[in-house]
Amino acid sequence: MSLTFAISPFLIIAFGAMALMLSEAFAKRSNGLALGTTIVFAAAGAFAMAVWLYGLEDIEGLDTLTPWLVVDRFSLFFDVLLCLGGALAALLAGGYLPEHNLDRGEFYSLLLFSTFGAMMLAAAGDVLTLFIGLETMSIGAYALTAFRRASAKSAEGALKYFLLGSFAAALLLFGFALIYGATGHTDLVGIGAALKAGASKQPMVVIALVLILAGLAFKVSAVPFHMWTPDAYEGAPTPATTYMAVAVKSGAFAMMLRVLLTAFGDPSSMSWSAGWPPVLAWVAVLTMTVANLIAGRQESVKRMLAYSSIAHAGYILVAVVATMRSQTLAGASVLFYLLTYTVSTAGAFGALILCGRRGAEAVSYEDLSGIGRRHPAAALPFALFLVSLAGIPPTAGFFGKWFIFRAAMESGLTWLTIIAFINSVIGAYYYLRVLVYMYMREPAAGAPIAVPMRSGYVTAALLVSALLVLALGLSPTRSLDVAVQAASFGG
Amino acid sequence: MPNAQIAIYAPVFIMLAVATLVAVLFFVGASTLGKKNPTPEKMLPFECGSESSGGRHVKLSVKFYLTAILFVVFDIEAVFIYPWAIQFRSLGWFGLIEMFGFLAVVIVALVYVWKKGALEWES
Repeated sequence: MSLTFAISPFLIIAFGAMALMLSEAFAKRSNGLALGTTIVFAAAGAFAMAVWLYGLEDIEGLDTLTPWLVVDRFSLFFDVLLCLGGALAALLAGGYLPEHNLDRGEFYSLLLFSTFGAMMLAAAGDVLTLFIGLETMSIGAYALTAFRRASAKSAEGALKYFLLGSFAAALLLFGFALIYGATGHTDLVGIGAALKAGASKQPMVVIALVLILAGLAFKVSAVPFHMWTPDAYEGAPTPATTYMAVAVKSGAFAMMLRVLLTAFGDPSSMSWSAGWPPVLAWVAVLTMTVANLIAGRQESVKRMLAYSSIAHAGYILVAVVATMRSQTLAGASVLFYLLTYTVSTAGAFGALILCGRRGAEAVSYEDLSGIGRRHPAAALPFALFLVSLAGIPPTAGFFGKWFIFRAAMESGLTWLTIIAFINSVIGAYYYLRVLVYMYMREPAAGAPIAVPMRSGYVTAALLVSALLVLALGLSPTRSLDVAVQAASFGG
Repeated sequence: MPNAQIAIYAPVFIMLAVATLVAVLFFVGASTLGKKNPTPEKMLPFECGSESSGGRHVKLSVKFYLTAILFVVFDIEAVFIYPWAIQFRSLGWFGLIEMFGFLAVVIVALVYVWKKGALEWES
């Protein structure tokens, strides 16, 4: 099989994005763009699965590509995951944008271009391709955040995101430049080999590692680099928030795993005494604790979900730390968690979209009160996704957390596991609070009553996520096997 | 070898120190040594000899911004084409096809902004 087949997911997204962009410019209408975008995402995901099933061993000439773009099971897994996140965001946009009078076709092309960058990020084998992928992903996300042009909140969130994001990208670039100075390599494998050969003793490498860790922590929105997240997530139109919370975050974690395990995978950098694990462990503790405490005090459900996504980044960081002892098991738990997190978060934001219509977007807890009795079809999926985010069986979120805790325990990080467990109990409080409002409260007299919108697109997105949440929660073994295969990439 | 590394960069640090010193000297010298005799005419903002008029905050049309951004896109295109043209013979057919692919992407962008009406000044 030829090389074209191996990179077909990339080609489909790129050509699909350009075709949709031109069709929108010529037709001057945006009907059906959501469907077209979903089809492009589905096709790219299907081709990624086909490459996975075909096997990469028989594809000739793959090694000519490898120094820059690594097509392996890790990147194929992320291709499918990112296409799933993108498709869910596109479906939600198909219902949300017309309802809220934001129906402009650029949304879908930006979504596709940004996903292209995220896929490239997951496949990057060189810091140069990594940086191009990162910027392609981020610039699309900045524009999506600012999509509600007339809203000051949207502009504020986008500007904060853009300024801090550029700053983080600069830190990352500076770190890469120092690493290049210390090792003479820009490819991750070459950096890893040079560090293993003893270059990791240089002070320059330590400074580079700190800068790179700060840049990565920003991109996954870990505390104390999280300040932009609540504002950007709240200001952005909800489908764009969904996209940022699921796909951008997954792409950032793919980059983090690849950089840390391939470039900084030598025994010294990975040790508890002289490497990145203790730094990330403390970042994880801070992220989980701070995000959970603040999330419990939010009055806006959308903002609460933003803080919840920060907290989830903290849980995932626990597993990233655990990769220092067992790359395959802990790495697989990161990938599996990202999968469960993607379907639960996209579903929760989708249900929030469904609960509001033009001029009456459901934002606060009060808006949702009593909706469980009046509109059970909107409240039931919402409840399911929140239960999954809280990590209660038999949903996907339970096994996501279970595998992360198990990986952390087996790496000897008992204290970290205990903190993560306590935090997931705190987290349950604010998820269940939504349920209390939906099912046990009645709206105050004279308060505006949320009327769910009707949209086939949103319903389809909710159905797909609900099915996946239940399927992953009831039989996780098969997906975990896939994640294990994906996580065992060459160091 | 931290000491050897620092030794390599020593000229840079010396340059930095000298540059800072000169700048500080000029500032301090100008503010302490010179005579000061301000008149209203002297305090006016200098604008190529002609009298200045109007406030500082002139609102520019957003159109200029759009045109500038579109210009940057095609400017970058020229930046990429130039080294390719220099190395045209050694890159051969592969280089030609790659460059056509790149141009095709940029032309898609051009067609898009054209159809969207971003090139029309009056609208």
